[in-house]
Amino acid sequence: MLKSALAVAAIAAVLVFGAFAIYAYRSPIAPLSAAAHPKFSPEVIEKGRILASAGYCATCHTEQGGKPYAGNYPLNTGFGTIYASNITPDPETGIGDWSPEAFRRAMHDGVSRDGSHLFPAFPFDHFTLMSDEDVDAIYAYLMSEVKPVKLATKSNTIPFPLNMRIWQAGWQLLFVDFGRFKPNPQKSEQWNRGAYLVEGITHCGACHTPRNILGAEKKSREFAGASIDEWIAPALTAANPSAVPWTASEFTRYLQTGAGVYHGIAAGPMAPVVHAGIGELPESDLVAIGTYLGDIVGAPDTNPADNPLVIASLKAGKPDPAYRKDLGERLYATACAACHYNSKEVMEGRPDLAINSATRLDKPDNLIHVILDGVSSDEGSKGIVMPAFRHALSNEQIAAIAAYLRDKRAELKPWSDLTERVASIRGEHAGK
Amino acid sequence: MAEVLRLPKDPRSSADLTRRGFLVSMCATGAVFGFPSIANAAMNPEAPDGLPIEAVGAKYEPTIWYWIDTEGHVNVNIIRAEMGQHVGTAIARILADELGANWDDVHIDHVDSAAKWGTMVTGGSWSVWQSWPVYRQAGAAGRIALSEKAAQQWGIDPAQVTVKDGMVSGAGQKLSFGELVAMGLTRVFTEEELKQLPLKPHSDLTLVGRDVKALDIATKTTGHAIFGIDAKVDGMVYAAPIMPPTRYGSSITSIEDSAAKNIKGYRQTLKLDDPSETVQGWAMVVADTFWAAQKAARLVKVEWNAGDAAKVDEAAIQERGRSLIADEAKGAILDTGDTDVAPVFAKAASTLEAEYTTATVLHFQLEPVNATAYQAPDGVWMIDTGNQWQSLALPWLQKALGVGEGGVVMRTYLLGGGFGRRLNGDYAVPAALTSKALGGAPVKMILTRPQDAEFDSPRSPSVQNIRMAFDADNNVIAMDSAATAGWPTKAMIPAAMEKGVNGEMYDPFAADGIDHWYSVGAQRARVISNDLAESTFRPGWLRSVSPGWINWAIESFMSEAAAKLGQDPVAFRLAHLKAEGRNAGSAPNSVGGASRQANVLKRVADLSGYGKTKLPADTAIGIATTYGQSRSMPTWVGGAAQVHVDRKTGRVAVDKLWLVIDCGTVVDPNSAHAQCEGAALWGLSMALYEGTEIEHGLPSARNLDVYTPLRMIDTPEVVIEFVDSTEVPTGLGEPGTTVIAPAIGNAIFEAVGVRLRHLPITPAAVRAALEA
Amino acid sequence: MIEFVVNGRGVSVDADADTPLLWIIRDDVGLTGTKFGCGIGMCGACTVLVGGRATRSCITPVSDVAGTEITTIEGLDPNGDHPVQVAWRNISVPQCGYCQSGQIMQAVALLKDIPIPTDDDIDAVMTGNLCRCMTYNRIRKAVHEASQAMIGEKNSG
Repeated sequence: MLKSALAVAAIAAVLVFGAFAIYAYRSPIAPLSAAAHPKFSPEVIEKGRILASAGYCATCHTEQGGKPYAGNYPLNTGFGTIYASNITPDPETGIGDWSPEAFRRAMHDGVSRDGSHLFPAFPFDHFTLMSDEDVDAIYAYLMSEVKPVKLATKSNTIPFPLNMRIWQAGWQLLFVDFGRFKPNPQKSEQWNRGAYLVEGITHCGACHTPRNILGAEKKSREFAGASIDEWIAPALTAANPSAVPWTASEFTRYLQTGAGVYHGIAAGPMAPVVHAGIGELPESDLVAIGTYLGDIVGAPDTNPADNPLVIASLKAGKPDPAYRKDLGERLYATACAACHYNSKEVMEGRPDLAINSATRLDKPDNLIHVILDGVSSDEGSKGIVMPAFRHALSNEQIAAIAAYLRDKRAELKPWSDLTERVASIRGEHAGK
Repeated sequence: MAEVLRLPKDPRSSADLTRRGFLVSMCATGAVFGFPSIANAAMNPEAPDGLPIEAVGAKYEPTIWYWIDTEGHVNVNIIRAEMGQHVGTAIARILADELGANWDDVHIDHVDSAAKWGTMVTGGSWSVWQSWPVYRQAGAAGRIALSEKAAQQWGIDPAQVTVKDGMVSGAGQKLSFGELVAMGLTRVFTEEELKQLPLKPHSDLTLVGRDVKALDIATKTTGHAIFGIDAKVDGMVYAAPIMPPTRYGSSITSIEDSAAKNIKGYRQTLKLDDPSETVQGWAMVVADTFWAAQKAARLVKVEWNAGDAAKVDEAAIQERGRSLIADEAKGAILDTGDTDVAPVFAKAASTLEAEYTTATVLHFQLEPVNATAYQAPDGVWMIDTGNQWQSLALPWLQKALGVGEGGVVMRTYLLGGGFGRRLNGDYAVPAALTSKALGGAPVKMILTRPQDAEFDSPRSPSVQNIRMAFDADNNVIAMDSAATAGWPTKAMIPAAMEKGVNGEMYDPFAADGIDHWYSVGAQRARVISNDLAESTFRPGWLRSVSPGWINWAIESFMSEAAAKLGQDPVAFRLAHLKAEGRNAGSAPNSVGGASRQANVLKRVADLSGYGKTKLPADTAIGIATTYGQSRSMPTWVGGAAQVHVDRKTGRVAVDKLWLVIDCGTVVDPNSAHAQCEGAALWGLSMALYEGTEIEHGLPSARNLDVYTPLRMIDTPEVVIEFVDSTEVPTGLGEPGTTVIAPAIGNAIFEAVGVRLRHLPITPAAVRAALEA
Repeated sequence: MIEFVVNGRGVSVDADADTPLLWIIRDDVGLTGTKFGCGIGMCGACTVLVGGRATRSCITPVSDVAGTEITTIEGLDPNGDHPVQVAWRNISVPQCGYCQSGQIMQAVALLKDIPIPTDDDIDAVMTGNLCRCMTYNRIRKAVHEASQAMIGEKNSG
């Protein structure tokens, strides 16, 4: 999940040296009693709910099994653990005594009500682009619809002096362009709407843009793809290795359904992004996001069925009576092909693995994750699942299947050290 | 989601909810099955709930094999287990045909294990063969009783009465079976009377040899068929074994279960002490659910003193076999007439000798072995399971539980595959012991798939050595065959062993195939039990038993001999299937003898186009022929396989199989075809795809990731032809298995000129042979 | 509590998240037509439909199916007369019958996606379903027959 990457960023930030005390000083904003809170119209609250979903705020601000938005989700780093804060309207432990101005300052400037700097685990570098109106709507939603939960946010376990918040100001100075979104007049309104959402509230780059040594997104390589929690967030540019280039309509469809017939499904950290987040946006916004991302990829919207790689994949998928010759191929024929087989066309619900992103990425992580732990009903296409082979197949056997798909079916450069990689990913998520 | 049913975790409370709240309201959906009482411990595979039909009004029982009620229902008692043969349908049809019943009125019960049923075994491909006379007599008894009653009513001679389709008619009048039963039928028959009853001529049979609806098929398409694994008893707990490092001689030194105590539903871990010594060194984890038991079992640490077999592997077993064969003093010599081969070999102009081996094969019946055990209120122990040989398992269970005859009742459910695995009911013992340790509480034990493989009684690895002597004119003058393997009968029911001409005892099921019907001059057939195999694992009867491994040797060798002489392998065989002397055959079971084997061989050669069809390069048809299971019940089989060998990879592709079978009368054509096709494909599977090896005393391949039986994509077309015959019906479940491996081996030889002598035939072995 | 729908009926179970769906269906819901074969998703005896797709229930954690609609062999047709079941009976496919619930469920899924399957299609999709009685040739025949029946039904309906 993007949480780890952001946590790394947070830690890296504290390594920035300098005396920023004066520069960094932000005054506290006075608390606002509950009685003094403004009242909001239902329309504004609903808008806020949708935006909060699109920003998947709850995903990071809720611990496992915890109450929504009550915080304490652990972001583990090599230096210690940071806990997401309680953003329920509880006045003591949450943000119940925050004024709209305080909330806006947090979203736009990365500064807490009390004046302390927030770790950039909180992606204010994206939210700074959001309009006051949208930020206020989220505030309205949190204050009106979220149940207050009294739950103190745990202290981070980062050792002194790295834990001093003041260092964050330096990081911000170096890496964050504060300020609202500026439309590109050369582009359509739809494109600009997509750009506003993608760069702002949905903060796609937080996962899909590689980070520098200090954990900040590399502006020069925006959406070039990155590794998150042993999952790969694929490139959203022309560098995406899909057999069939992503297009505006494919992006939109993927965000609507959780699956792209010619690409793959939203699994792992991407699953809640689609199903608990972006999917709440109105169709027009999803089309706008597709338009913007499709423009970045730059591929013409052609019929994927005519793509030579798709045609080759269907041909290569035909059953071979000599399937026993290769361990991976044999296991695939007996454990995978019942679903992962297509006859004359690639069908929804039958992911064709030779053209699937998971097979074509430079790293095997996503494929291994899915073979190990399957796909649950809230991942990928809603309501359908893939079994988990964690307790069924050995590391060597999973590696053999992955190698078969990569080398023989996709005919791409073999992945190295596959068995070790399976073992590593198996170990990381042993609890599942 | 209008009606949401909450199913709590605790099965003791969910049992109620599940049964009454859920299933009853869902009508015919789920099946919670348990025999209602001991008196009714029988099973009807036609009914979604498995319950036998109940008689309406009075019922008439001409013999113990069936009753007829006032509605005319004919309910036939079946002592054989249903495991895919539709055996109840076949047997009931024999009775119904002789009786003159309407097939729509016929129902079946798979009965309990009461002593009155006699020996209960479903194996050896014997069911139809053994039932044929008995159920025909039983049917005739009913027909005669009904005829007499009707004749008495009408005041005519019973000879003037006809019985057909459930109606009795004569003198222009008709009465149904039901009406006659309602009038009060009491006639009983002595054994002697039964044997004397006149049977219908073959030409009058209307059900035998024709397709009728199999009674067990419909429920197998709706999920309502009830197998042993589906047994449910109120309040039952689940048991998961922790199995020892060796089949024999391991003893538990410690059990540590503290980690398991964190598993919700975990109860305890028992150390099983088995007076019957069926299971040695087993621990049993008991929990509220199957999954809790499995999870807990992973956390319980058990230590053992391992048995000696922990040091034994397949190679050692096979080396032991070779050394046993090399010692002429070892083994039993079968009665094959002139067994004094030494002087003939001494004067032979030339000889041929070859060794053939087969690897360990698992049953891998799809339903892992399981049993549900509990003590009924009257103290009788109930064992709910699928089993093929109740009469064999009952004494073990009695000994394990410390009770006498009648102290244990087995209730036979449908078998999710038998193939001989469930002839050995050893798996019922640990379930019974666990229930006993829990004071008779109901316990359901299901082995996981790897455990099922580990605890299997596999087909033993085998070694065969065959020699043949020829005179100066290339006539065969002697044959000397020796075969060794672990013997199932010796391991499990030594009383069923037979005595050889040298006074040594032998396992007939591990010898069948070696006393073939070829006339070869002096003939010695020697079978030797492999003691190392038997002390390592419990050898099992596996579909066709030794005809599966011995015919691999005999039928490969016959082609090798033909090749040595430069003769056509079919012609060579036919020249030695002379049907003379001891191979002439005898009534009732082997009328015609070797001539019938020659007939199926010729026919399969014709049918397959052997030697005539022009085939692509590296492609050929190979043939083989056997007499099925045993000389006492020969089913004559001719088999052919067309293969293509990929010289580069060594892969053998089987394009097509042909079988011509003479089993006498075909009782159930549809099922006969299915049985023979299944058997042939088993033969193919064991020839090319199955097989494992004993490592550290246990089979090394234990699940489908490494054990790789035939699947859909591997399945060739199978052409089957039955010889039209009115002879005694012989067995069909296994014979098809016996010809396939040698037919494939012979085809490989014809295709690319190399001879493979080990099963399974792997691509690596083919490559190696081609490169040699 | 994990909630989902089995054969049109809501079910709510209190079970460990990692419990395979198979055992919930068999022992908690009480529908035993779905069978346990290998426990590693390689024999197909445990096949049920989740969201209409054939799924090996023995290695599917029950937590993964929250909110889904599941069909077992018992729920395929109220009278057991789904065209695939009918074809199975017409051709007398089952021998021991243990694998056949899974075979039928897999065949139903196959025909839904590929209404007129070639032998290659059947080989690819059905090879994951083991039949120890080796009824494969009859299964193939029955799939073709069911396909024809379903096409006919569609055309006449």
